[in-house]
Order: sequence, then C-alpha cells, then structure tokens
Amino acid sequence: MPYKNLREFLTKLEEEKQLVRIRDEVMPEPDISAAGRAAPNIENGPAVLFEKIKGYHNPAVLNVHGSWANHALMLDLPKNTPVKEQFYELDRRWSKYPIKPKWVSCGPVKEVIIKENINLFSVLPLFRVNRYDGGFYISKALVVSKDLEDYDNHNKQNVGTYRLQVKGKDLLGIQALPFHDIGIHLRKAEELNEPLPVAICIGNDPTLTFMASTPIAYDQSEYEFAGALRGEPVELTKSETGNLDIPSGAEIVLEGYIIPRSRSVEGPFGEFPGSYSGARLQAEVKIHTITHRVKPIFENLYLGIPWTEIDYLMALNTSIPLYRQIKETMPEVVAVNAMYTHGIGTIISTKSRFGGYGKAVAMRLLSTPHGMPYSKIIIVVDEYVDPFNLPQVMWALTTRVRADKDVVLIPNAPGMPLDPTSEPPGMHTKLIIDATTPVAPDVICRETELLATPPKAGEWEKIIRGLMSDKGVGK
Amino acid sequence: MICPRCDSNTAEKLLDAPKDKSWEVFLCQTCWFSWRSTEDEAVTNPAKYDEKFKLKPAELDKLLAIPPIPPLKQSGTM
Repeated sequence: MPYKNLREFLTKLEEEKQLVRIRDEVMPEPDISAAGRAAPNIENGPAVLFEKIKGYHNPAVLNVHGSWANHALMLDLPKNTPVKEQFYELDRRWSKYPIKPKWVSCGPVKEVIIKENINLFSVLPLFRVNRYDGGFYISKALVVSKDLEDYDNHNKQNVGTYRLQVKGKDLLGIQALPFHDIGIHLRKAEELNEPLPVAICIGNDPTLTFMASTPIAYDQSEYEFAGALRGEPVELTKSETGNLDIPSGAEIVLEGYIIPRSRSVEGPFGEFPGSYSGARLQAEVKIHTITHRVKPIFENLYLGIPWTEIDYLMALNTSIPLYRQIKETMPEVVAVNAMYTHGIGTIISTKSRFGGYGKAVAMRLLSTPHGMPYSKIIIVVDEYVDPFNLPQVMWALTTRVRADKDVVLIPNAPGMPLDPTSEPPGMHTKLIIDATTPVAPDVICRETELLATPPKAGEWEKIIRGLMSDKGVGK
Repeated sequence: MICPRCDSNTAEKLLDAPKDKSWEVFLCQTCWFSWRSTEDEAVTNPAKYDEKFKLKPAELDKLLAIPPIPPLKQSGTM
C-alpha cells in the first residue's frame, strides 16, 4: 500500500525498526546535524525523529531516505531488497507513467492557515546543517512553480528540490540554476518582470521527495511519476494563492513568490559533492502565507561527505532516467549505476554490438540532458558485470582495460559548477574508461575463457538468504 | 552588533526562540549571515570565525550572480 503522507511512512519505518525517536530535549546545534551525519554511518541506518528541540514547539525528522532499507520500504518492498532489484523494480514502475493526480478541495495541510505576522521560526525548527553554511537551510522541500507563459499546463508545472537559505522571518534565498526547470520558470518571469509564485512543501510522502530530485524532462510531471511509483494517484489540493498544486498531506507549505530581477548574497552551503559551494548572488523568495498540519513535522536533510542521506535519495532516481534514455537507442545496455555524487561518477553495463561500442555508450550518456553537465567519470563494463557491485567493477577494470586504447579524455566539456574540479565552474574534462571485452573488428589479442558459475548457484543464494532471514542472521 | 562573517556593524537581533526565549537569532543586513546565540564561538565570535569563510563587504557586489538576470522582453515580442 502506498503511503498517503510522511506520517504514514514514519509509522511503517518504526514498525520495521527503521526509525528511532529521540525523546530527550536536544539543542538545534550541534545535535540535529550530528545525528544526521551519524545515522547513515550505520549500516541500514534509521530515520531519526527529534521530539523536543530547545526553543521550538515542533519536532524534526532526518535521514528518512538514508539507507537502502528505508529506500526499499519507500517502494513498499522488503527492507532487505538488493539495490539492483530495487533498480529493476523502479524501471518497471517507470513504464506506468503517467498516473494522473487526484484533486481534493482540502486536506490536512490546511489544518492551520497563517496569513499575517509570518515567522518561519515559529513553525520550522530550523538548524544549521553544516558549520560554515551562510545560515539555516531548508534542504529537502518540494518547490512548486509554473511556466508563466503556459500557466495552465500541468505538465510544465515543476516540483523540484532546491536549497533554501532562511534570510529573515519571511524571506528565503533560493538556488535556481539555469539548467534546472525552475531556472527556466525564473528566466521567463524575469524577462516579463513578474513575480514567480512558488509553494514550498515540507514533509511529504517519500516518493514525492524522490521524484522532486529526479532529472526528468521539462514537460513531464513529477506528480504523475510519483503516481506511477505508488501505483495510485497522488492526492493534491490547491495553494491559497498562485493556483499551484500541492500535496494535500504535506506537513507544511510556505507560499510566496520569487522577487523578480533581484539578487542577493546566498551561501555558502555544504553541498552534495561533500564540499562547500561559494557565496553567490542568488534570487530571493518572499513568503506571505503558511499552511500546516497541527503539530507539523519538519523533514530536513543533512548532507556531508558521501555517503549521507542525499546519496541514497539521488542514487536510483538519477540512474533510471539515464538508463532509459541510453537504452532507447542502445538496447544492449543492461543497467546504469549513476549513484556516485548525482551521476558525476557513472558505471554502465552493456553488451557490445561491435568494436568500440563501450565508448559509444559512454558518449551517449554524455549527450543526455543530465549526463552532459554532471557525468565526468564514466566506466563501461560487460553485460554480465553488475555495475552495482563495485568489486566486480574493479575486476573488470583490472582485467579488461588496455590503458593505451580504452581510456579517453574529453577536455573542456560541459561540467557541473558544484564539482570542485570544475574549472571554470561549469566546465570540466570527461574521463571514459571502457572496461568491456574487445569484440570484432577490434583486435582481440588473446582469447579469454571466463570461469562459469556452478549450476544452481542462484538457487543456493536464495536458500542461504532464506536461512539467514529465518534465523535473524544479518538483521 | 558586529557580524561574525563580514565584520560589518549591521547585524541585528531577528527574533527570540518561539518557546521560552531560550535563545536569540541574529541576522546581518550586509551579508545575510545568520546565527543563534547558543552556537559555538567558531560561528558566533567575529575573532574566531574561520578566515577562509569571511566575506568582505566591498566585494559582495562582485560575487557571481546565479542565474544572471536576463534582458527584459520588449512588449509585443511574446
């Protein structure tokens, strides 16, 4: 059964022993971030719910997506489902897109409506994520906006996660990069000198948060993809202003607008590559309305040197779109693992149709909308190598790569500005390592006979897993 | 009040804790840095704030603007 909202998922996590409650009072700093760092250090680490935070009325939860067990439970799979199986299950559900949302006139998110004396601190137990961040950040919200030139087009409505710096009781800084969908919305609004209405939704059904950080096309709907993942429509309602669609079960929604043609200091912020971004001049959001559930839960995200929660959140949702885009024209591709720093490192397994095919697959990745700026180190392995199994990938590198023929550099290519090697920011050099076995017309110097897997090994793996599960071994 | 990050004398108290006034939050009107009174001195004390993260008020206007502000569309070009 899909989860209607964050609370239902937290209940499931607790039943599955994947959530811990901190009942004692904690300090906003350093306790909350420290726990956000610690939880994913633990194998299959839990979500951490802080019930009492000094100076605040409301609770906070971190690390909701921060382990493969939690990720599997998000998809309503057994919590020990291997990553590769989660990948193929997600791919299967992807084909069910679109499942249209269901609109309702109201919802729990409207239990409390605030339109005067806005004070973000009175609703959100804000805390510093990393020590040298420029302020307190909202790091896991869905930011909903529309295309001002096509305002009634539901598919062009964007639901994305962008970092938000709290810069006052009713003011936020927002990072809207030009290649993000909200960057397109902002450009169009600023060309017209119009404010861009936004609804910032905090504390959601986990598939919504998952889709909000998935690189899908500009005219594809995150809500309809979330419906496909859930197998049921997402339930939406309307924002108080701006005619935006928001999850009816969200914990908190901040409504406001991006101030047109204005930039102000934002950052630094500890970012997903595990280092601080610089301070930049970025846009600002004025908040005029808050709606929320009674006693709302502030869901936020700690991010540090990988792996932390964000690495689980942006792992398979980066891999699947890339896999499907490449496979469309290169059906030999078996799987794509783009789990390393949002696809900056990507491993692809493929059968080779002819000599040099592995390199061609890598170049196809580099021509996808996400792979073009993000992917920097691309490893291509044979179809029987599991790209999610790093020892297998290392085996392919050590026994398949001819350094003089299989390693390619592409200098001065599009890059991701947050990658600290990107110089100037937004440009970098690509590295392709083709670790596939050469096929004709490539020269095959030596025949290689692979060791075969003993018959029934797959059956035995299931038997052993079952025995371990029955006895509670490895839990 | 002096901002720990940009050393401008433009920081002001933004608010008290919503519950029990157990801390205060301050905000700099020059570089928009904010901090809580209960954070450690590496964050709250201008003398102890890491030099690598200090900002110079005179250079703030030169920071990279992301995204750049686009030219206005002339009316009738839509």
